[in-house]
Amino acid sequence: MSIVQKAAKILFVSVHLILLSGCWDRTEVNDLALIVGLGIDQKKDGKIMLTAELIVPQAVGGGGQMMGGGGGSGVSGQTVVRSGTGTTVADAISNLQEKLSRRVFWGHTKVVVFGEKAAKAGIRQHLDFLSRNPQIRLRSNVLVSKGTAKSVLELLPPIEQSSAEVLRELSESQLLLRVTIKEAMQMLSSDADVAALPMVKILPPEKGKKDLQTIAFIQRTAIFKKDKMIGDIDDKLTRGVLWLRNEIKRANVTVTLKGEKGNITATLIRAHTEFIPKYEKGKWKMIVKVTAEDDIILNGTKLDLLNPKYTKMIEKELENETNKRIRAALKTVQKEMKADIFDFADIFHRKYPREWNQVKNRWEQIFPTVEVIVETKAYVRRPGVNTAPQGLPEQEVKQ
Amino acid sequence: MKAGVILGTLVLVALIFLYEWPRINRTQKKEKVVFIVLLSLGTILAIMLILNPDLPGPTQMIEYIYKPLGRMLEK
Amino acid sequence: MIEKGKISAMQMGIMMYPTITATAILLVPAITARYAKQDMWLSPFWASLIGFLTVYIAVQLHHLYPQKTLIEYSEDILGKFLGKAVGFIFLFFYLHANGIIIREYGEFVVGNFLSHTPLVVVMGSMILVCSFAVRSGVEVIGRLAEVIVPVVIILILANIILLIPDMKVENMFPIMEKGIMPSLMGAIIPQGWFTEFLLIAFLLPYVDDRNKGKKWGMISVTAVMLTLSLINIAVLFVLGGITSRFLYPAFSAVRYVSIADFLEHIEAIVMALWVAGVFVKIAVFYYALVLGTAQWLNLSDYRPITFPIGFLLLLFAVWSAPNLIELIHFLGSSSPFYRISIQTGIPLILLFIAKWRRKTNNQKLTQQG
Repeated sequence: MSIVQKAAKILFVSVHLILLSGCWDRTEVNDLALIVGLGIDQKKDGKIMLTAELIVPQAVGGGGQMMGGGGGSGVSGQTVVRSGTGTTVADAISNLQEKLSRRVFWGHTKVVVFGEKAAKAGIRQHLDFLSRNPQIRLRSNVLVSKGTAKSVLELLPPIEQSSAEVLRELSESQLLLRVTIKEAMQMLSSDADVAALPMVKILPPEKGKKDLQTIAFIQRTAIFKKDKMIGDIDDKLTRGVLWLRNEIKRANVTVTLKGEKGNITATLIRAHTEFIPKYEKGKWKMIVKVTAEDDIILNGTKLDLLNPKYTKMIEKELENETNKRIRAALKTVQKEMKADIFDFADIFHRKYPREWNQVKNRWEQIFPTVEVIVETKAYVRRPGVNTAPQGLPEQEVKQ
Repeated sequence: MKAGVILGTLVLVALIFLYEWPRINRTQKKEKVVFIVLLSLGTILAIMLILNPDLPGPTQMIEYIYKPLGRMLEK
Repeated sequence: MIEKGKISAMQMGIMMYPTITATAILLVPAITARYAKQDMWLSPFWASLIGFLTVYIAVQLHHLYPQKTLIEYSEDILGKFLGKAVGFIFLFFYLHANGIIIREYGEFVVGNFLSHTPLVVVMGSMILVCSFAVRSGVEVIGRLAEVIVPVVIILILANIILLIPDMKVENMFPIMEKGIMPSLMGAIIPQGWFTEFLLIAFLLPYVDDRNKGKKWGMISVTAVMLTLSLINIAVLFVLGGITSRFLYPAFSAVRYVSIADFLEHIEAIVMALWVAGVFVKIAVFYYALVLGTAQWLNLSDYRPITFPIGFLLLLFAVWSAPNLIELIHFLGSSSPFYRISIQTGIPLILLFIAKWRRKTNNQKLTQQG
């Protein structure tokens, strides 16, 4: 082997050493600031203010032990909230980056919060930015805040590490609406062109706590037409909406029986909503079939729930109550707001593609006139682990 | 800047040459010629591309030929 | 013969699987969705027809010239001059096509993961690895494929299973809302990928059990068809109407996986194994190109020209498009016709001429006899 050959071999290997390490995209954890929550606000002059809730990896690394030993004293204050402004979100980020010693990293963004003003001005361009960025996950939750998004992210929650984590947990509990970036985009590009996003409100802090030591919780639902927020509905109506979107996961329904004192509360185990679209003589009709399975969790009456007769009565009342909730949601959303957040448009489109294509352009006028028939069927499966009401003398129990 | 890239390319070409040349048998005259020709073709093309990155490429040529059909799919 | 290695028919089939799917799951679902909308899952079925046809042509030609590859027998069929010209077209095509494949790979990696790494480095390192595989011959590539492909298939299936909680079957309806046309239009792009099965014309001469060549070719086409259709269904169920808005819908869907809050962010694993699939794809194309060039020039060995051609491939990958937008535009407009005319059209003509020649030769023989 000649010297030249040897030299070539050594050179060949060393070139690999340089190339394989991938210097350009090397990212060290201690150069990064992980964004966990993102807030987008619109200022009075039309500029976008971006608020990022950042986790500094180092601080969290030691946090686990501190929490264990210090009894939770070190929990808050591990996140940093910074804001930047600019004409677009992207602009605002470069402004934000100027104020940070570490490079922002988007891969762990859990929630995106839109301030009320930004939501009213339109969220399409913000969503585009979020989905175009290869680091941000489409699974991040999207929310709207009453007031500014910054005020929500600034909070120092007592239980979770960051307010972004609080919002994510609340979203994932699916008590009220849960929407991810993907779903928000799907709603806005669907036939109906409307969207519903969960809306958060700041919980007033307990007495004696500092102003910031509280959380924001999901309490309402913001309704969007095109990409602009047009209004919001409260939690009660939202539950009705959830039935109509076949998204209800948890609910407690309290009813009273005729002629009986006291309440009975049932909790939802399983629910399913089926939609049967009908098109007859130029009239659009939607039959909504709701099936719910419940367990009784509270019995305030004197009835012995082992009697099937009472079960039937409770089922009847549960049906009425559910019906009422759905009707109320329909009244506000369909008749008043005229926003098809139940995605009836898609359902009609699937069943009657030809007829639907004819009215596609004036769906907004047709939607409020759609006749909705709600058929609810409730089943009480179990009376909990008790039979007759507790804390009542034997003779007072009604068999 | 460009000179640096060209220099890098030449180093790469030299590496390929040093790696492969001793491996070709002495009897394989034709292989040696083809090897040299292909490598120099590559070098020339590389330098042309470095000097003028907007050089119309093979894709443009194919696109020109198949344009009438391709237009069918454009929306 | 230049290549002394032997592969089994099954290895050939396995090699062809990632050779089609590896890049067909990147940009293609979005382009298909643009035309076919909710019928996108039907498109691979139509597209596969051209795959079956191509395999059939390649096998028929192989029966007529059992020991030879595409480049060699085009000379036998068309005569010295025309044969060389057609051979050159094929070689240029494979140089260009492989350049585009490498570019697609590079764009994907740079666009999603290594955004600051120069494209040339990403593509160059891949070519370097592939050139070692190509130098080692067809046997080595076949065995590599045998190792890699089962893992890739399991990975694809596992991902689809993980996505089930996020799937919405309603996204599929109404089926064939506007008739069969949209799904046929959506098939035009993937069928360009299916024509790549012509590559078996370079592998068939080295297959041991040659009577099984056709069988495994067809199995491979079927497997690819089912895989693409399954991926399209999964993507459609997860993303629905916005599928065509994504550049890499299958990848965006994988990023959406989240099971019980801890099984998420799995795209890094997907990426690692997918790169292995692309490696097989580029190696097979590269091998066909190098072997074909050596045969075209009547060389006694193809190894010396591997690196120079690799260098050319890198240049073509850089040269083939100024940016990703141009690349997608090309893939979505002219490229399917380009691919089909060269990979199915020319071989079809070759087959007709060869059959016709045989016939007249036989007639002459019987007349003389």
